[in-house]
Amino acid sequence: MNTFFLYVNIFLGFLILACLYRVVMGPTTIDRMIAVSAIGTKTLILLILIGFIFGRVEMFVDICTVYALLNFLGTLATTKFFEGRGKC
Amino acid sequence: MLTVSILKNLSANDICAIVLIIAGLFFFFTSTVGILRFPDLYTRMHATGKGDTLAVLLIISGAIVHHGLNLNSAKLTLIALFVFIANPTATHAIGRAAYRCGIKPWLKESKCTNPGEPHQ
Amino acid sequence: MLTTVYENLIVQTVCRIMVPFIQIYALYVIAHGHYSPGGGFQGGVILTASLALIFLAFGQGAVTRRINRRLAVILASAGVFIYAGIGLLCLLLGGNFLDYAQLAKILGVTIPRARSLGILGVEVGVGLAVMAAMYSIILDIAGSPAKPETKSRPISENKP
Repeated sequence: MNTFFLYVNIFLGFLILACLYRVVMGPTTIDRMIAVSAIGTKTLILLILIGFIFGRVEMFVDICTVYALLNFLGTLATTKFFEGRGKC
Repeated sequence: MLTVSILKNLSANDICAIVLIIAGLFFFFTSTVGILRFPDLYTRMHATGKGDTLAVLLIISGAIVHHGLNLNSAKLTLIALFVFIANPTATHAIGRAAYRCGIKPWLKESKCTNPGEPHQ
Repeated sequence: MLTTVYENLIVQTVCRIMVPFIQIYALYVIAHGHYSPGGGFQGGVILTASLALIFLAFGQGAVTRRINRRLAVILASAGVFIYAGIGLLCLLLGGNFLDYAQLAKILGVTIPRARSLGILGVEVGVGLAVMAAMYSIILDIAGSPAKPETKSRPISENKP
């Protein structure tokens, strides 16, 4: 079961690298914001599965809750910055 | 033959967890393809807002089934519930900011004449 | 004519639901610092994150009405006072600074339990101080809200 989690993590790593293309090449800034939020969601799953591999699930679950909260807050704060401006 | 010998060592919990996690990975893959290949900002938002949330729910369900009934499974349920509520809200906020900034959606002929003004 | 304009109704509703749970989770992180990742600093930052969520959803006026700048400074000083106060109490009872074993004399518990309670008290003080300090940093970065411009000009003014 551990090797299965390891292969899932490697595949998720490649998906994160694929999302980085949109972060670099996005025509507008909001494109980049969407891609960063998607990378944050994938990192959350990566952390949970790493917790299963190491056997210490409690520690990684606490970290993941905080990371989900910070991802959400960062996205909201960036949209608040763009709300009043005329261009992005 | 190799698959059968591998499958004999796993319990029913593990097989269910593997199926759920592979389904979640499929949705992650399709939402990533959506981010890379869709033509417009709003369509990319659709891809990541819906696909990513469903994938997180499926993978966390798989992890809960694998781990059994435990305190950690309850905490994982809380993470899943939080992502279920927070990801669509963030997507809505992003879409509203994009509309207020004046980004025109991708249409065959442009029906959206003036984005950038607030809806009445 | 509308007197209250809902800035973003969905974000406001979700914020109303989520803020109490975030604060309870912050208290959990403060209290379980000795066993799982967490402690005073991390819990304080999560408390500030809940206040920042109110700021993002409802605006600066709403969050300032709950904790204004003066109360933030008072809370930060109270947190440091708790920390230094526990250390000074251990000093007055006849030990070193922050020697929690001396707390067993006034609490009437065994020495390991007194150490555990001393650490918990110190973490609570640190959490309070960190929350108030980060919150005042956020308010300082945001600045004072801009006054609404008056669009009407006086009639007697001559404009070219």
